[in-house]
Amino acid sequence: MTRTCRCLNCIIPPHLLRRLLESESREVRQAAMNTLLNSARLRGQRSLRATFGIGLSAAPTDGRRSIFDCENRARIAGAVLVQTEQGEASRDTSVTRAFEGLGTTRQFYREVLNRNSIDDRGMRLDGYVHFDTSYNNAFWDGQQMVFGDGDGVVFTDFTSSLDVIAHELAHGVTEHVAGLEYHLQSGALNESMSDVFGSLVKHWSLGQTADQADWLIGAEVFTPGVDADALRSMKAPGTAYDNDTFGKDPQPDRMSKFVQLPDTEEGDWGGVHINSGIPNKAFHLTATGIGGYAWEAPGLIWYEALRASGPTTEFQEFADRTYLMAEDLYGAGSIEQQAVQDAWRQVGIRISRTAARRRPGQRRKGDLLVGEEAGYDGGALAALSRQMETLSAQVHALSKEVSALKGDRTPSEAGGPRGRPANAKLGRLANS
Amino acid sequence: MKISLAKYGGQTAGMLLGRAPRVLEADTLPPPAAQELARLVETAKATAAATGVGLGRARDMMSYTITVEDSGHQTVLKQSDTNMSPAFRNLLGWLERHMK
Ligand SMILES: [Zn+2]
Repeated sequence: MTRTCRCLNCIIPPHLLRRLLESESREVRQAAMNTLLNSARLRGQRSLRATFGIGLSAAPTDGRRSIFDCENRARIAGAVLVQTEQGEASRDTSVTRAFEGLGTTRQFYREVLNRNSIDDRGMRLDGYVHFDTSYNNAFWDGQQMVFGDGDGVVFTDFTSSLDVIAHELAHGVTEHVAGLEYHLQSGALNESMSDVFGSLVKHWSLGQTADQADWLIGAEVFTPGVDADALRSMKAPGTAYDNDTFGKDPQPDRMSKFVQLPDTEEGDWGGVHINSGIPNKAFHLTATGIGGYAWEAPGLIWYEALRASGPTTEFQEFADRTYLMAEDLYGAGSIEQQAVQDAWRQVGIRISRTAARRRPGQRRKGDLLVGEEAGYDGGALAALSRQMETLSAQVHALSKEVSALKGDRTPSEAGGPRGRPANAKLGRLANS
Repeated sequence: MKISLAKYGGQTAGMLLGRAPRVLEADTLPPPAAQELARLVETAKATAAATGVGLGRARDMMSYTITVEDSGHQTVLKQSDTNMSPAFRNLLGWLERHMK
């Protein structure tokens, strides 16, 4: 059982933490321990842990990658293992892209969300390339990720877009975390989660802020000269393409344009790839509203809201969860919480009254964020929280300076993504 | 014999949505191709879909509907990426090559 700490986003310097952990008050000790656990779990700031010497690390062998070549046959069974963590690098660009893409995505989950692979227990990552001939798709089959080469006429290899690789891996994460049913609104949320985390992996690998990013999914899967921006646009759903070959992008960007489709294969299970435009847009608006890197506060809010979701969670419930999570992580009335509320309002979803009226510290279903328990000294905790919040801001500023210094001294590693933010560089240092 | 192919779902679901099925008239084919198609159709009709591993938990997989109209008789074959029989895959592959 976990108790609410109002400053879950804070990182406490070790000397203060030690003092708090040694406090005579059991409550203070408990609060400090909870904060340590929560901040370590929630922030996953490997860089900060490295900087300040708080040691928690995932074994580098977790989430081991294997890439298989389907040799253009339409089956997984019988595919040839062509690249592993140990073996020689493949000369096949599809193999390399899948291998590197899964590696970057694995690293994103580990460093940004403190998640150890798909199941958070180091599940192996198996990618299958050259599936079938002229196959214009990529999918998650419930166990592994499968990529087609494209028909070479309008589509090229689906490993070409890092966000598509990360999209498929995110389906595995969503399955383990929330099990969102793959039809109607829960299915559209499932699709949206894959687009959100798929694009965050891309932003993170490129070191782009919310304003700098293109927010496109699958921008690289088309052959040159094809008149389409991408498969989907999170920034402007409904505008990714409009031509004779593909028709017009049918994604809605608000609830009033929600597309009613049959809950059948023919109807894309109620338009899971269509109505995902609505929560996609809400995430984009949240990220640009908060500003900075979308994988930080916005990504964390979405990830924690996903963790608090279940198989039948729909848009309204998810919106409420992001709102409550923003409060728990950043405080009631914080910029983050306001941005979340504004974003959902702009796509036509109002945060429900029950969510908006929740008082801080109120008990919530599930054990993630549970408020004051009987006999718990809320006043002391509040004071402690405020103190930690102040310290957190100072430590954050300090850590940025240290990161920048370390980053300046570290030449970028060969083969690594360029322009990676300083904290990611530090994360890699911590691994080596 | 008239045969039509419709595809749904997957990463390109939005592009496939509402798209009319592609149609091929077997009468317009050279006799050897028409015979090959007839053979593929008969085999696909006779073979059930495979039991998919993890079917139901698959995401972004595509599904396919092949409709065969022959002498006023209609047969509809529906399968998806994760439960496709080899016979259906052969027919689908043949259609993809000839419907370009
Ligand atoms: Zn998907």
